[in-house]
Amino acid sequence: MSILVANGLTHWFGSDVAIESIDLTIDTGEHMAVLGENGAGKTTLLRILATAARPTSGRLEIMGLDALRERRRLRRRIGFVAHAPGLYPALSAVENLDFFCTLHGVSRARVAEVLSVVGLSEVARRPAGQLSRGMQQRLAIARAILHEPKLLVLDEPDASLGSDGADLLTTVMRDRTVVLATHDHALANRLCQRTLVLRHGRSVGTATRLHIVQ
Amino acid sequence: MSNTIAVALAVARKDLRAEWRTRELVPALAQFVVLALVIANFGFQIDSRNAPMIAPGVLWMALVFAGLVAFGRTFAAEREQASLEAMLMTPASPVAIFAGKALAATLLLVGCEAVLLPALTLFFGTPLSVPIIAAVLLATIGMAALGCLFAAMVARVRARELLLPLLTLPLWIPFIVAGGQAVQVAMGASGTYDQALALLIDFDILFVVLTSLAARFVLDE
Repeated sequence: MSILVANGLTHWFGSDVAIESIDLTIDTGEHMAVLGENGAGKTTLLRILATAARPTSGRLEIMGLDALRERRRLRRRIGFVAHAPGLYPALSAVENLDFFCTLHGVSRARVAEVLSVVGLSEVARRPAGQLSRGMQQRLAIARAILHEPKLLVLDEPDASLGSDGADLLTTVMRDRTVVLATHDHALANRLCQRTLVLRHGRSVGTATRLHIVQ
Repeated sequence: MSNTIAVALAVARKDLRAEWRTRELVPALAQFVVLALVIANFGFQIDSRNAPMIAPGVLWMALVFAGLVAFGRTFAAEREQASLEAMLMTPASPVAIFAGKALAATLLLVGCEAVLLPALTLFFGTPLSVPIIAAVLLATIGMAALGCLFAAMVARVRARELLLPLLTLPLWIPFIVAGGQAVQVAMGASGTYDQALALLIDFDILFVVLTSLAARFVLDE
């Protein structure tokens, strides 16, 4: 069963087209990687799929809801890790997550759980601004799974995660539908069943894991 | 409704906690208003006769410029940290987020006023009374609502430091006029204090409602 159906997604920045006529269907529980060079439109596509941005034209349905009209309802079920961690540097890891618990309306008991999942329990009281880039990325991932989303949209989450990053991603992606943008073909092949390749904002096509290996 | 209030309070608490730890804004604003008073003290020939006429003008000048800095920072910091998008990616109401940011900015400006008003008494010899504090606080509410709305609008624009005063100052004029009149009367000039205060309350209600309605579109679109 499809959890996400996109038809003709197009987005313009002024006179430049960022993505053009993207058609996409993602099944429940599927992990899809989005590959492409810098400027291919990966981030724009992911921001639209996460409901963080509106496409200039096209239709997007997520979990049976019109994603352009029902953005707030969908945000209860979507977790998004953007390019920048977007944390509050003066607040500790726990305080950052506590704050987002209130915004999501979930119990603060989740904070300890997600910190344990991303391996940050020992630095939980340290200000986010004093954490390494990799730790900040882990904290951003923890925030994205705080409300137990069904759909996880990850924009280059592996960029600074370190050697055990793939294992962490495997853990957080389990039992969820995931769209993941990356430059790392090997990681895409390891974590995802299907890959969408973008070039100059257009879909070059999708391939299954077997095709990528070949 | 209770969720909206909880979100607004959480946003305000988060902003105040961050300010308490970094001390970026309030000490700078307090220094600014004291310096403004020192300059005004040297610039004008102030005596007990003209102080009630000049002091309100100096008070509102200092407040307006301190407010521009305080409200400008509320959303600029969120944009720089890319944290505004993280907040908006939650199901929390943009109106609640806006209310929380405006509340925190208001409290920071009130902190600045806690330095400004006694300093005004010290430099100008004007009285510090409940009517003066009430007029300043009432004006702060409406100015904060408008200032935060425009700060949210211009936060993603490169020339935001220039645009924020251009957009905000014309709409702050009713608060400056009514607030100025109320403070002048409270300091001993002739006029009707109650009428000025009623105007301030009316403007507060009008602009708080309007900015709350507009906040959803400004933040989420």
